[in-house]
Amino acid sequence: MATTIDIIIPDLGDFEDVEVIEVLVKAGDTVAREDGLITLETDKAAMDVPSPENGTIEVLTATEGDKVNSGDVIGKLTIEVSDTVVIAPAIRYEPTGDTTVLATPASADGKAPKTGGVQTLVVPDLGDFDDVEVIEVLIANGDEISEEDPLVTLETDKAAMDVPAIVAGRIESVLVKVGDKVSKGSSLAIIEAVARAEQPDVASDATVVLAPRFPEVVADAPAPVKQQAPQSPARELPPINEAGFSRAHASPSVRKLARELGVDLAQLNGSGAKGRILHDDVRAFVKAILTGQAASAVGGGLPKTPSIDYSKFGEIESQPLTRIQKISGPRLQASWINLPHVTQHDLADITDLEARRQELKGPAKERGIPLTPLAFIIKAVVAALREFPTVNSSLSDDGKSLVLKNYIHIGFAADTDQGLMVPVIRDADQKDVYELATELAELSAAAREGKLKTPQLQGASFTVSSLGGIGGTAFTPIVNAPEVAILGVSRSSMQPVWNGSKFAPRLMLPLSLSYDHRVVDGAAAVRFTTFLGQKLSDVEDLLRAAP
Amino acid sequence: MADHQAQLVVIGAGPGGYTAAFRAADLGMDVVLVERWDTLGGVCLNVGCIPSKALLHAAKVIDEAAAMADHGIAFGKPRIDAPKLRDWKNAVVSKLTGGLTQLAKQRNVRVVHGIAKFVSANSLQLDNGETIAFEKCIIAAGSESIMLPGLPDDRRIIDSTGALELDPLPKRMLVVGGGIIGLEMACVYSALGTDVSVVELLDSLMPGTDSDLLRPFLKIVKPRYEAIMTSTKVTGMRSTVPGIEVTFEGKNAPEIGVYDRVLVAVGRRANGDQLAADKAGVDVSDRGVISVDKQMRTNVPHIFAIGDLVPGPMLAHKATHEAKVAAEVAAGEKSHFDARTIPSVAYTDPEIAWVGLTETEAKEQGVDYDLTKIPWAASGRALSLGRAEGFTKLLWDKKTERVLGGAIVGPNAGDLIAEIGLAIEMGADAADIGQTVHPHPTLSETVAFAAEAYAGTLTDLYMPKKR
Repeated sequence: MATTIDIIIPDLGDFEDVEVIEVLVKAGDTVAREDGLITLETDKAAMDVPSPENGTIEVLTATEGDKVNSGDVIGKLTIEVSDTVVIAPAIRYEPTGDTTVLATPASADGKAPKTGGVQTLVVPDLGDFDDVEVIEVLIANGDEISEEDPLVTLETDKAAMDVPAIVAGRIESVLVKVGDKVSKGSSLAIIEAVARAEQPDVASDATVVLAPRFPEVVADAPAPVKQQAPQSPARELPPINEAGFSRAHASPSVRKLARELGVDLAQLNGSGAKGRILHDDVRAFVKAILTGQAASAVGGGLPKTPSIDYSKFGEIESQPLTRIQKISGPRLQASWINLPHVTQHDLADITDLEARRQELKGPAKERGIPLTPLAFIIKAVVAALREFPTVNSSLSDDGKSLVLKNYIHIGFAADTDQGLMVPVIRDADQKDVYELATELAELSAAAREGKLKTPQLQGASFTVSSLGGIGGTAFTPIVNAPEVAILGVSRSSMQPVWNGSKFAPRLMLPLSLSYDHRVVDGAAAVRFTTFLGQKLSDVEDLLRAAP
Repeated sequence: MADHQAQLVVIGAGPGGYTAAFRAADLGMDVVLVERWDTLGGVCLNVGCIPSKALLHAAKVIDEAAAMADHGIAFGKPRIDAPKLRDWKNAVVSKLTGGLTQLAKQRNVRVVHGIAKFVSANSLQLDNGETIAFEKCIIAAGSESIMLPGLPDDRRIIDSTGALELDPLPKRMLVVGGGIIGLEMACVYSALGTDVSVVELLDSLMPGTDSDLLRPFLKIVKPRYEAIMTSTKVTGMRSTVPGIEVTFEGKNAPEIGVYDRVLVAVGRRANGDQLAADKAGVDVSDRGVISVDKQMRTNVPHIFAIGDLVPGPMLAHKATHEAKVAAEVAAGEKSHFDARTIPSVAYTDPEIAWVGLTETEAKEQGVDYDLTKIPWAASGRALSLGRAEGFTKLLWDKKTERVLGGAIVGPNAGDLIAEIGLAIEMGADAADIGQTVHPHPTLSETVAFAAEAYAGTLTDLYMPKKR
C-alpha cells in the first residue's frame, strides 16, 4: 500500500531562513531513507535534509536559493508500506487527538463507563514491535497529568514515540523505568483517573488502551474504528438497512440487542441452526468491527484476508468459480478449520510391484483393463484399513465416540475440467486389483464427462488423492471430512536405497497421509504408512483375488 | 411558571398512554399523565375491548346453554336482566380502571385530568387553563368513532359506546358497518334476543379479511340474523315514532326498514388533529394521523406519538408495544418498534383471528407461499365442544419453510393465534411447530397439525402430500 507523507524541514536549532544551496532530487526519483534531498547552508555549516523514508518523490517545491525554516513543508514523498510501520521521527506528526478504543464498546447493560477510579495505563498496539525499550519516563508518582500528556518515550528500531495518557488524573505509581522493555499491553502506570465531564454512552471495558502518538499505517487493512469523540460507537457501525433488518432470521431479543448496539442484522450470517442469528453473532460482529476486521467476518468470527483493489496494479478480469469449486471450496475450508490436520510422509518401495505391473499391463489391456498403479495402491490401502480400523472411521457428531465402519468404500480424487471430484469405489475390500482398475477407469471417465450420479459420489470411508501421474515429491492433502484420513500419493522415483551392504536403485513411491489428530495419533499414522509400504512391496499378495 | 412540570408528559391514558407513562416512570422519569376522562384506561377499558368482552361472554353463555338443548340438557329461555348485566360489565371495568389509578400512584405518575392542547414544543395547556411544561411528550390521544354525517338527532342512533349500555334492549337493531366492532356488537345483541341486521357498503364483511375465514362465521350467524346486506348503501335515516326509518340502496336490501336501534360502526378516526400539534411543529395528516419513525418519534424529535393516531391498525396491543418503545427512547434507550406482525382478532362467535401475512396479501404481493388448512372437524376437542365449523390455516415460505402467517376461525381463535405470532417472531419453521408437543386434546393441536401437514407428517387427517 502506498501512502503520501510530507517532507518537512527538521529542527534547525537557532537558525532561521536557511538557504537551499542545492536540490539533490527531483519529482519521480526513488530515494532511500536518509538519502539527502536538499542541501542547506547556514553560516556555520552545510547540511543535507534527509529523506524520512524509502519512497518516491511526489513533489519537491524547494528550489535553489529558497530560504527555509524548521517545520516548512518542502514536498511530498510516496512511501510503500508493507506492514505496520511507525513513521520515523524526522517527520513531525501532531497527535490526531483520536482515541482508539479497542476494548469492547458496550457492555450489555449499556451503563456508564468507568472513566473515573483507579486504572492501569498500558502500552497500545505497537504494530509488529515487541520488547520496545523505554528511553525516557516523563511522569513521576503524584504527577497530575492531563489527557494526551506523554507518559513515556519508547524507541523502536524505526522510531521513537511518546505514549500519551488516555485519561487525565493523578499518577499513583509508575511501573516502568528507563531501559525496561515493554510490549503491547504492558502496564506503564497506575492512575487515579478523573472522570471526564462528557462520557460515552456506552461502557468501555476496564482496560484502557492508549493511542500511539504516531498514526499507524496498516497495509490494506480497514482503518480501525476510532471514537472521534466520547460518543456512541454505534455511529461507527454501518447504517441499518431497515428492509433487510426486518427480514433477518433473528428473534425479538436478538433484534433488541442489535438495536442497542446499532448492528444491522442484514449484514450478519447467523451461526445458529438454519442460519439463525444469535446474540453471540451480534456481539462478534461488533467486536470484529471494532478490532478493524471486515464486517463480513462474522458467524465463525474468523479474521478475513485483506480485500485488495487489484486493478490498481494492472489489468484484471473476473472469472466465476465453477459449480464444483463453489461446492468443494466451503467443504475443504470446513475440514481445514475443524480438523487438526497432521501429515505423515513416507516412501514405499514399489520396485517389484512396478516390474510385475509392467508384465501384466499388456495382457490386461487386451482385456480392456488399464492396470494403473492406483489400483494396486487402493488394494494396499484396503489391507491397511482392515489392519487399522480407526482410520476407517468417523467421529460422532458429539465428538464423544467413533463410528467404525464395517465397510470399505474408497473415494479417489479425480481431476476434471469442472474441478476436483471424488468418485467412490464401493466395497473395495471385495474387489481384486483388476476389478478395482476397471472401476477406476469407469468412474474416472464418468467424472470427466460429468456423468457421475449422486450415489457414485457418496459413502466414502477413506480417500486417496494420487498426483503421481503429474509429479511432486510430497504434499499435504486435506482430509475429506468427516472421514478421518486421506492418502496423498506423489510421483515415484528411482532412489539409492541402502540395503545393508550397499546402495541399490529402488523405485520409491512417496506417500503422504493426512489425518484427523483427534482420532488418529501419530504412532498409529506411522504404523499405517509403514504397513502400507510393506503391502506395496509385496505385489503377489496384492494380486491375490479378493476374498 | 407552568402549573405542572414534567420530564415527560403523556397525553391520553388509554392502553398506549398508561403503558408509556408507567414504563417511563419505571425507567426513572418524572411523568405527568393527562387524561380527559375521569377514569384511566381510555376507550379500551372503559368503552371498548373490556366491556364488550364481558357482554360477549354473556352472549356465549346464552348460546352454549341453548346449544346443549340438542344434546340432552335444556335450561329453558333465559331471563335477561339488562340493568344487572350492565352493572356487572361496569364492575369489571371499574375494577380494571381502579387498578390503573393504583398502579399510577405506586409509580408516582401524576395524573392530571383535562383536554390538552399544545402551546409550544415544550408546553401544553389544559381546557381548565392549567399549563404543563415538559421536556418530552408522548401523544397517545387515540381515536374516536366516526358518525355518519347528516343523521337525525335521535337517542336511538348510537355508536359502539352507546351500544355497551344495553339501554334498553331493542327488539330490532340495524348495525351499520360490517367491521369487527359492528359484528361483535351484533353478536351480543343477537344472543340477548334482538333481531339484528347488518349493512355493509363493500361486498364482504370485515373487508380485507381472507374470504374463507368468513365462511364458518357466516354459517353460524346467517340463520340467526334477520339480514346481512353487503354491497348496500344506507341512503338515509329518518326519525319516526315507531323507530328509525332507514333507506337502503343495494341488490339484496329492502328499500326501507324501521329499527328501534341503529348502531353506527363505520370505523374510527385518529385524534391527532385535536391537539393543536402544529403549535409544537408536529406534522399531522388531514386524517388526524401523525407519522412516526421506528422509535415512535414524530418529526419533532422530543415528541413521540403512539397508538391509534399513528399509522397501522387501531389496536390496543399495538399501542402498548409502541408505548414501551416510545417510553424507552424518551428515557435514553435505543429501542425500536421491530415487531414483525400484529395479530387481529374479531371476538365474534365463532372468533376470527389472523396474524402475519394473509392469503389476500400474499397474492397481492406475489409471495411464493404454500398453504395448509386443518378443518376443526378433525379436532376431537372441537367436536366435543360442539363446534366443528372452524379451521386453522397456516401460510409457509416455500424456500425456508418458515411460517409467514396464519388464521384461525372458531372458539378461542384469539387465544390460539398467539402461538403463531410467536412462531413468526422466532422465525419458526414447519418442523419447529410440528415437533413441539401440543397438549391433547386441545384446539391448539390444530396449529401443530397444520405444521405437520406441511411437513408431510400429519396422521390425523389424510392429505395429499404438499411436498
